[in-house]
Amino acid sequence: MKKVLSFVLNGHEVSAEIESHKMLLQVLREEFQLTGTKEGCGQGECGACTVLVDGIPVDSCIYPSFEVDGKSVTTIEGLLGEGNVLHPIQAAFVAHGGVQCGFCTPGMIMSSKALLDETPMPTVQEVRNALAGNLCRCTGYVQIVDSVLSAAEKIQAEIKQ
Amino acid sequence: MKRFEYYQPRTLDEAFERMGNLKGAGKYVAGGTDVIVRLKQRALKVDALVSLRGIAGLGDIAHNGALSLGGCALFRDIERNEVIARDFPALHQAVSMLANPQVRNVATIGGNLCNAAPSADCAPPLLVMDAVITLEGPRGKRDVPIESFFKGPGATLVEAPEILTGITIPAITPGTGSAFLKMGRVSQDIAKVNAAALVVMDGEVCLKCRLSAGAVAPVPLRLKACEKLVEGRRIDHDLLEEVALTASREVSPITDVRSTDDYRRHIAGVLAKRALGDALKFSTF
Ligand SMILES: Cc1cc2nc3c(=O)[nH]c(=O)nc-3n(C[C@H](O)[C@H](O)[C@H](O)COP(=O)(O)OP(=O)(O)OC[C@H]3O[C@@H](n4cnc5c(N)ncnc54)[C@H](O)[C@@H]3O)c2cc1C
Ligand code: FES
Ligand code: FES
Repeated sequence: MKKVLSFVLNGHEVSAEIESHKMLLQVLREEFQLTGTKEGCGQGECGACTVLVDGIPVDSCIYPSFEVDGKSVTTIEGLLGEGNVLHPIQAAFVAHGGVQCGFCTPGMIMSSKALLDETPMPTVQEVRNALAGNLCRCTGYVQIVDSVLSAAEKIQAEIKQ
Repeated sequence: MKRFEYYQPRTLDEAFERMGNLKGAGKYVAGGTDVIVRLKQRALKVDALVSLRGIAGLGDIAHNGALSLGGCALFRDIERNEVIARDFPALHQAVSMLANPQVRNVATIGGNLCNAAPSADCAPPLLVMDAVITLEGPRGKRDVPIESFFKGPGATLVEAPEILTGITIPAITPGTGSAFLKMGRVSQDIAKVNAAALVVMDGEVCLKCRLSAGAVAPVPLRLKACEKLVEGRRIDHDLLEEVALTASREVSPITDVRSTDDYRRHIAGVLAKRALGDALKFSTF
């Protein structure tokens, strides 16, 4: 069965005819060619496929596409500012070595975005809890936590200015 | 993944009708963190999923002394609810340790119970709290105590096309404390063993004790021999050691990919003892 889904994707109204067994991840990558969102395990374990649905991080590999109808989806591509300026969280990951092979990075950054939207100045433990569903086989996590903490400070400093 | 239809009813009646028409070839989906994962692993085949996410009110959480949770209450919302954290700490702890944030943002308490894994983390807290489960079907509503809800691994009292619409936890009385503990390989894994305890204290004496353990038998268990041991007594070091021994004898674990029966038996005793000690600390008499 197929259905026309209409939703907001990275700030733009979109619609597309989608088959009922497709997960959001496939729709993003295949229908909209947004390949920033990665598939790791495909089973809700690793968080590589994390996107925000109405601002809340979910694993898009197990998120039924029909459920996004009428909702708002943000992927890593949606964080880029005007003139291709990196979002402060993206910039912090680059500056602090939070990226090695990069496969976990889009998911890490989406989880971090949701955390900082809810808790602008998190503790180390809050960062670790928020990223507990994002696995990284390269960095050992220390640089990732540093990246998020430093992004939090940057964002707060910019707001104050 | 194999193809399947995906229906999104707006009311319970619509859901019952849809499920009835599928004649056993359909499954409900709430958060999908069990059912979709099993479809993707090809451990399950269906012609159609019937989503409960669009049915109004099923996700509600209400408190008027007793706590009412809708069948589709999200772990995300339970975890952030201050009354639950204060009055029902064992449930709060179980939910905030379960899986990971992305899973908790979509997974539901009803899904955890209906999936009926012996390791389901919500089962021990709800068992010690004497929760009542409400099931609704085309022929009406029935309430069942959680103690009789589980029938075996993956099996419950729910008869298709029934839906678990609510969970009610009785109000706590003064002197109540509860706690949940879980032992896993890594933090987001399902439990090798989990346990919950609830005590109602009158000063130093335990008036009421409830103990429960999961992943140590085909269904989550009440540890009734331990409960009997504790009620009417002061909870001291010696009694806690007795509880640990008794709990180890009351369980009947298996060996599987996660652990061995011996280890589970031992840890069930340790967790029962510690959960009881923690529940005592939470008690506010
Ligand atoms: C990475 C990962 C980690 C996990 N870790 C844990 C863990 O630590 N502890 C734990 O206990 N579980 C864990 N789980 C399992 C799972 O997340 C939970 O069991 C969750 O509560 C399932 O809820 P759901 O809403 O996603 O259920 P679904 O997958 O939507 O449904 C599960 C089953 O229940 C049925 N169902 C759902 N809701 C109802 C209802 N209201 N009425 C009737 N039938 C219904 C469905 O038909 C299906 O058979 C984990 C899963 C993943 C992917
Ligand atoms: S790809 Fe979705 S959680 Fe691993
Ligand atoms: S940078 Fe390689 S998996 Fe995280």
